[in-house]
Amino acid sequence: MTATPIPTTYRRPLRQRLAVTLEPWLYCAPVLILITSVMLVPLILGVSYAFRDIQLLNPFSGGFVGLEHFKALGQDDAFLRALRNTLWWTGASVFFQLAFGLILALLLNVPFTGRGLAQALVFLPWAVPTFLAGLNWAWLFNPVIGPIPHWLAALGLMDEPSNILADPSIAMWGPILAATWWGIPFFAITLLAALQSIPKDLYEAASIDGASPIQRFFSITLPYLAPVIAITVLLRTVWVANFADLIIVMTNGGPADRTQTVASYIFTQAFKRLDFGYASAVALVLLALLLAYSMVILVFRQKLSNRDK
Amino acid sequence: MATMEIRSASKNYGTIRVLDDINLDIGDGEFIVLVGPSGCGKSTLLRMIAGLEEITGGEIRIDDKVMNALPPKARDIAMVFQSYALYPHMSVADNMSYSLRLRKTDKPTIAEKVGAASAKLGLDALLERKPKALSGGQRQRVAMGRAIVRQPKAFLFDEPLSNLDARLREHMRAEIRKLHRELGATSIYVTHDQVEAMTLADRIVAMHGGHIQQVGTPLELYDRPANLFVAGFIGSPGMNFLKGDIADRSLHLRDGRTVALPAEMPATMGEATLGIRPEHVVLSPAGEAGLETTVDLVEPTGHGIILHLTLAGTVFKVLTHDRRWLEPGSSVGVSFPAEALHLFNAEGVRV
Repeated sequence: MTATPIPTTYRRPLRQRLAVTLEPWLYCAPVLILITSVMLVPLILGVSYAFRDIQLLNPFSGGFVGLEHFKALGQDDAFLRALRNTLWWTGASVFFQLAFGLILALLLNVPFTGRGLAQALVFLPWAVPTFLAGLNWAWLFNPVIGPIPHWLAALGLMDEPSNILADPSIAMWGPILAATWWGIPFFAITLLAALQSIPKDLYEAASIDGASPIQRFFSITLPYLAPVIAITVLLRTVWVANFADLIIVMTNGGPADRTQTVASYIFTQAFKRLDFGYASAVALVLLALLLAYSMVILVFRQKLSNRDK
Repeated sequence: MATMEIRSASKNYGTIRVLDDINLDIGDGEFIVLVGPSGCGKSTLLRMIAGLEEITGGEIRIDDKVMNALPPKARDIAMVFQSYALYPHMSVADNMSYSLRLRKTDKPTIAEKVGAASAKLGLDALLERKPKALSGGQRQRVAMGRAIVRQPKAFLFDEPLSNLDARLREHMRAEIRKLHRELGATSIYVTHDQVEAMTLADRIVAMHGGHIQQVGTPLELYDRPANLFVAGFIGSPGMNFLKGDIADRSLHLRDGRTVALPAEMPATMGEATLGIRPEHVVLSPAGEAGLETTVDLVEPTGHGIILHLTLAGTVFKVLTHDRRWLEPGSSVGVSFPAEALHLFNAEGVRV
């Protein structure tokens, strides 16, 4: 028997192998570090608050409480009312913003003298800080300094000039009106851009086919705008549902929690009651609801565009 | 099925007059082609007939009814657009039935009419598709189908073939002609392509600068162009023009040479332009006959050869089937048969 030669497999030195393995990670490192530090760490910290007892006024708080906050939430009537209010506030605000934004876009799409100036002016509310807009509207509704209650009374819609924001049954209309005023330009801008991309011959072909202006709107304009409307409504709903500024400034959730939405409830819990743990738990629920909503809309949209093919 | 009369129609955009004193009578079932370079007003005229542009002055009548103030839908015409203008979110069948659905036609009738139109155009397999899933030629057919389902009084075509490639255009041209023969509907067709105009038209309306230059059958326009514009626009390659003065029964060219004129042309008339089509020029070896010149450029097209020559300082083209003169730089003699000459006066009007 002859001895078989020992097979020699060449192995690189450890340091070289390490360098090869690490190389891609090193290239990715800057962006990974950036994403982790800027996005993930704050997110995880915020989420972790929901499972801890963090109250600024209680020096002994800070311990882990598990699902305690969520159990409390289930029995919190104020939270459930805030949830209902959020639905109402978001639905009404987005609906009126869309409706008036669409009307405005249609009007601005018709050529007239001074259209450039009108377009610039119409988009002005968008540039007003929400805090200022809220204050402005709160004052407009105030019968002492604002004209709106007096107008409503003069029109017979109100028995006497009183503050809408102080009436529990209609207080929500105040912030909804302000949000509508403030949000119309967003819809008007995006819908106007979409309107201007509709080929003119389509309208001409339809008018030769015998369609009236209203029929042309429903058979050309609306189908053309549908995808844009879907995506802006999705964006806007998430935005408005999260949007507490106007409510905090105008009513602070009152009277009697009638204008308290989930977003303003979070603000109240965190910065009035200084209970950060509970506020985080509420925020987490809102996040889950909005994620679920977005998924539903996206699936719906996917289905719609698949049907088109 | 309709007759159409256009009486001194005009169109202004602001102070700019784009159409001036247009007069045209169109017979029942006639296929009229409006042809001219871009900006000549042919599309504007078509859109005025359709009701998409206001009529500034004059009258447009369909079947003796003044159309000026009527909206498009009251005129009972159908139009095929250059961009097809198909409704993108509707299927082919819905696109075709849209006008019928607007008229509240009952469903069996709609199905029958759409079925008949799609069978005629070979669209049966595509009825459920959306326009974006169709090729250019198929979209073109759908646009035509949309026009024919409602059996309008007249069809208007606005450069319907210009977005198709050359081969498909040739094919669709023949289909449109065939369709017209079957339906027999009055049609007005706008194009800038003189080949399309020649092959499709019963009568051609040649337009330039907002005016009608000449109305006639394709061969009338080819054989007896009314002026320099029509002479140069109809025919490919375009007619050659030689400028000069006429005296002693011959044209004195700018380079001093002369071309003898046939007896029926005026013996003296001063400044004039002589026209001859490239395909009518007779070539002969240098020195034997005609005006001598050299070949600058040779363009073989397969079915013939286009020679570029220089004559009296201008480019002069000759279409020949003889391959003897293929060599650039060689000398040739050109002569003009008397029956092929066109004479225009100083204003460019045929004499």
